[in-house]
Amino acid sequence: MAFLELTNVRKVFPNAQTPAVEDFNLNVNAGEFVSFLGPSGCGKTTTLRMIAGFETATSGSIVMDGRDITPIRPNQRNIGMVFQSYALFPNMNVADNIGFGLKVGGKSKPEIKERVGEMLALIKLEELGNRYPYQLSGGQQQRVALARAIAIRPQLLLLDEPLSALDAKIRLSLRNEIRSIQRQLGITTVYVTHDQEEALSLSDRVVVMNRGLIEQVGPPFEIYNFPTTEFVASFVGTLNLLKVKVIDPATGAIQVDGQTFFTGRPLVNHAAGETAQIALRPGIVQSRQHGARR
Amino acid sequence: MRKVAWVAWIIYIFGILYFVLPLFGTFIFSLQKSRGVLSLSAYQSAFADPKFLETFLFSNVMAVCTIIVSLLLVVPTAYWVQLRVPSWRPAVEFVTLLPFVIPAIVLVFGLIKTFGRPVTIFGVPVFPALTTSALSTDFLLVMAYVVLSLPYMYRAVDNGLRAMDVRVLTEAAQSLGAGWGTILWRIIIPNLRSALLSGALLTFAIVVGELTIATFLARPAFGPYLALLGNHKAYEPAALTIISFALTWLAMGLIDLVTRGSKRGPLTGAH
Ligand SMILES: Nc1ncnc2c1ncn2[C@@H]1O[C@H](COP(=O)(O)OP(=O)(O)O)[C@@H](O)[C@H]1O
Ligand SMILES: [Mg+2]
Repeated sequence: MAFLELTNVRKVFPNAQTPAVEDFNLNVNAGEFVSFLGPSGCGKTTTLRMIAGFETATSGSIVMDGRDITPIRPNQRNIGMVFQSYALFPNMNVADNIGFGLKVGGKSKPEIKERVGEMLALIKLEELGNRYPYQLSGGQQQRVALARAIAIRPQLLLLDEPLSALDAKIRLSLRNEIRSIQRQLGITTVYVTHDQEEALSLSDRVVVMNRGLIEQVGPPFEIYNFPTTEFVASFVGTLNLLKVKVIDPATGAIQVDGQTFFTGRPLVNHAAGETAQIALRPGIVQSRQHGARR
Repeated sequence: MRKVAWVAWIIYIFGILYFVLPLFGTFIFSLQKSRGVLSLSAYQSAFADPKFLETFLFSNVMAVCTIIVSLLLVVPTAYWVQLRVPSWRPAVEFVTLLPFVIPAIVLVFGLIKTFGRPVTIFGVPVFPALTTSALSTDFLLVMAYVVLSLPYMYRAVDNGLRAMDVRVLTEAAQSLGAGWGTILWRIIIPNLRSALLSGALLTFAIVVGELTIATFLARPAFGPYLALLGNHKAYEPAALTIISFALTWLAMGLIDLVTRGSKRGPLTGAH
């Protein structure tokens, strides 16, 4: 049984013509890192907020650790959340921000102090416990937000475009840091992004979404190399779309401009003589002196 | 360019004179109680009247009560509107502006008419007349002051809330296990500090000088005392006016000090 199970989840906002999320089915295993990838407005955040409890699903069920969490209030779910805008409490210093969840949870002072120290070491900001959020850079703020979310030892960690507000260089280093912390703690994670590179490099599995629907779920390699829909093919990676004539579906032979090529895979659902569309990734085409075998 | 600057300066100076001259005149006048010399004897005589301290104290107590009730009413309301029903904001804002439209005299007669006799709903008595005892009249007075302070208090709190990302901060706190009380007390209110202070000081200034409502509810407040004094004395009211101006300026200086002290960088980072 998967750790997190979303079944037929659907969300229609009041006064909205189309559902924000529909037919959403997904199982996330314990310790897995899953990304929701898709263009802006496709329903990633809405789905994440339903898991966190900030939105109620119109229908469908969300089960975490064998328990239906739909009726549970967000502050009782024990789910850590990291926001794009960091959302640090401006009136508290770094240590108090990280310790907030523990304090609310009634932990003792020494216990909080120890855990906050651990967290500061984890994000490599041991020296900055007394700083206020406005005294930190964006990257540092987001690391504090991450530490604050995992300090309470949540069962699940949700991140909504955590790197989008940062500049490119920090984005890359923080991305790796998030992944390594996630591996170290083995915490089940759902990561929302519109950046395919982020999703592909971080995740165990990627959920590609479009207009409220799941287009494809799979490991990054599969998503990149074997997209099952045109949307996935065009949204993920750079592509050249070519019109081709199918020569022999069994061997994968196709013809472009009178030249015969081989796709390297049998072409299912296509008949000889049919016109089809293929998507080419730059870097995958090889040229040889004799013959044009792939 | 230069010509515009000249005109601006002249208007500016004219504005300052328009504001400062009467005040300066009042101040000089308040020093002339003893014939031929400038002295503080008007101030001495104003302070010597036990009624001064009595009414001033009364109005201060009323002001503090008003601020407490107003905060309890406005902070959760404005927070909830911002968080859950932002589409109601124009309607709520309109309601809070009503005291500007409805004169205090209308408000106080409405209150007397409604609460001056036992209040019943469909013939069932709900509570007795509020104007029968001093304490219950004070209660009515505070409620009326809460209404008068609404435009200032609501605006101050609402501006403070808009300066932070209420929704995201609330959700961050919720995901960490906090309930509504904790969120309001540990996160929203501390970040509203300067907004609450300016709302409170404005309320204070309004209540301490208020005349109409206190007069018609016949309570021994500072406003009516000042007006009464003006009827049969010349120099003392001027002295008291200067004192209340000084208090207001002190309050404004405090606001400035507190707001300046809490000017911190971006509240919740980039968006
Ligand atoms: N509170 C809301 N009320 C109405 N519509 C909303 C609300 N939140 C999101 N939506 C709509 O739902 C759709 C999905 O939004 P969202 O989940 O935020 O997309 P994403 O995070 O993938 O960019 C969008 O069309 C958006 O306009
Ligand atoms: Mg989003």
